[in-house]
Amino acid sequence: MQMTMRSFFIGLALAIVFALIGYEANRFVAYMIYAVAISAIGALSLNLLIGFCGQITFAQGALVGVGAYAGGILGNAGWGGLSLLGAGVFGALVSMLVGLPALRLRGLYFAISTLAAQFILSYLFKILQPLTNGVSGLVIKPLSLFGRPVASDQEYAVICVALLFLSWAFIARVMQTNVGRAFLVVRESELVARGMGIDVSQTKLKAFLLSGFFAGLCGGLFAFTSRLANPEAFEIGLSVDQTAMIIVGGLGSLTGSIVGAAFVTLLPEAIERLGELLPSADLVSAFREMAFGILIVLFLLLEPRGLVALARRFGMRGESASSVTARLGTGVVQSGVAVSAQNRREA
Amino acid sequence: MKRLLVGAAIAGTLAIVAPARAEITVCAWGTITGPDALVNGMTYGTRDYLEYLNQTKGGIAGNKVRVLMLDGRYKLDEELKVYRRCADQEQAVVINGWSTGASKALRDQIQEDGIPFISESFASEVLDPQKYPFTFIAGPTYEQQMIIALRDLAAKGGKRVVLMFSDNEYGRGPVNVVKQSGIIEKLGLQVVDLVEYRYDAQDITAQMLRVKGKNPDLVYVQGSTPQVLVALRDAAKVGLQAKLFVGNLYNISPAIPEQLGPAAEGFRAVQTYAFYGDNIPAMKEIETYAQKNEVEKKDIYFIKGWLKGKVIAAAIEKVIQKNNGQVPTDIKTFRKAVRDEMEALKDFDTGGITPPFTYADHQGSVQARVAEIKNGRYTPVGGWIDAR
Repeated sequence: MQMTMRSFFIGLALAIVFALIGYEANRFVAYMIYAVAISAIGALSLNLLIGFCGQITFAQGALVGVGAYAGGILGNAGWGGLSLLGAGVFGALVSMLVGLPALRLRGLYFAISTLAAQFILSYLFKILQPLTNGVSGLVIKPLSLFGRPVASDQEYAVICVALLFLSWAFIARVMQTNVGRAFLVVRESELVARGMGIDVSQTKLKAFLLSGFFAGLCGGLFAFTSRLANPEAFEIGLSVDQTAMIIVGGLGSLTGSIVGAAFVTLLPEAIERLGELLPSADLVSAFREMAFGILIVLFLLLEPRGLVALARRFGMRGESASSVTARLGTGVVQSGVAVSAQNRREA
Repeated sequence: MKRLLVGAAIAGTLAIVAPARAEITVCAWGTITGPDALVNGMTYGTRDYLEYLNQTKGGIAGNKVRVLMLDGRYKLDEELKVYRRCADQEQAVVINGWSTGASKALRDQIQEDGIPFISESFASEVLDPQKYPFTFIAGPTYEQQMIIALRDLAAKGGKRVVLMFSDNEYGRGPVNVVKQSGIIEKLGLQVVDLVEYRYDAQDITAQMLRVKGKNPDLVYVQGSTPQVLVALRDAAKVGLQAKLFVGNLYNISPAIPEQLGPAAEGFRAVQTYAFYGDNIPAMKEIETYAQKNEVEKKDIYFIKGWLKGKVIAAAIEKVIQKNNGQVPTDIKTFRKAVRDEMEALKDFDTGGITPPFTYADHQGSVQARVAEIKNGRYTPVGGWIDAR
């Protein structure tokens, strides 16, 4: 999980390259770049919670929705760039509420409580008519930055790539702190975590807070780029899509979150383009629908640690879930010791 | 070698003398896969009409049409992506989009791009020729379809109406608009109950018991075919007959009589286009096309698609005629001219699909008739009713 200066600069260089491509490309390419970047922020948020802290959640779609509505409402009220921050803050607050049952529940029971949260929030999007405009959806003005509206897909590509880089760097940095190490210990064993003096409840809530912030940011960006927030866009299907991204990319891997988001976002387009060479549109589209299911089953069977681990197998360098897992054998203990030492110091 | 050179010289001369034929790109996206794929004949019909022109007339005014049929999957992000591909990468001159959500999300973008856009949505929210001059629909709005059904009831002396609708935009939106317009009272009708149900409900027996208690003369269902299937099934359970129920265009589905059998007899729906197989000139064209091609969707939605194809082709043809037989080279000018010609279509002959219409209001025909399931088939009962 170590974010070295080297990986930081590689990340920065890649962000600059993709931002430049997005800025210079046609609108379709720019759209694909920001679609991947927005999904990747969502996947990072989800991986933080599931992959690093071990809290399985099905409420991701709704949290993205909270961010979308919050960002849209604030943006329409003239908050400009601050509306994205507001989207993150609202996402974080609601995520904390979603995470409250985690103080008492664990595993499957907690997962079901998040599923309930998903449905409750979806319902609220529909009935809070004055805020959300109900089932018709909230039409959103373009994002305003420094007093001018961001109107083009190319500009959104630059903004989304920049925010993805900042999100990635921030989460990677958090994972180097005691808070991040505590996430890993809680994921491995709450009992061990308690034994090491980690406040498990507080750690879980911190994970929900952080994860919710980035889910909200993802929603805010989605709202401004699509110019509409409607309840149907934030249903359980979105949670499933983002879960697919982290499974395909690699659970417990930041790079995997981004790679998974890119793969899941671009795969349907790739299949569609290939399919256009064939005569039957129905068949290709149906295959595209099946491709996700097939891929997830294949990954779970053959390489549960995702694309990043697969790349590692073929000799490509990069941080991966396997490295995290491998380190955990000793790493949990080491990090646990570090955390408890810190706690002792604080005491 | 000599022959080759002569041939090349003739070909070169012809290339200079003969006017260059351009390719015209039209983009149509629908739900090829997705929750409302039952009605995707609307996209196939448009594609097939333009292909029919390619095969029988060499395209539009001799220029081949490249038709892209894409899958929006009824997902907002997917539809936004497809739009960008059509508008930017493919340089389409006309786009035929799909959902209400995408049409709303894209409406400012469509104006900025200046691209004629025909939405499959019938929501009144997407229709505003002054504010959104590039957006068109192809028929009466959901609200107008409801009004047509209510006018039919009023003409037959009915009084008591129940409005049933699903808990999403498609369900709630039109019911609210009609209710607030006051037209129900103007027609001398009375809304005795409003019944909302979950759009994916599998059992609405309780709601049907409530409806039965109100003793209505008509129950208008603003829902999709799967919802109507559930409604009619549960209505039969509590002893309500299908003839009480009326749905909109999207409820003209063979699935209803096929799955419900006698329980569907008497169910009515608002029919805004001719049926597939009707004795109309457009059907002759379809039969000609079917001689060499497989028609994949043989339903009323395919007929709607065929109609849109005719509108698009007519507008493009007029632009080419006015441009001395040439396809305009500047895509922005071409798009703007096609929009203007679409809006200028007057007494447009639809080949019997609808009565002739004028497209200045951006929706064309706002007439419909009521069709009833008789012996397992939808049969028109009565003449065309105007929603205006």
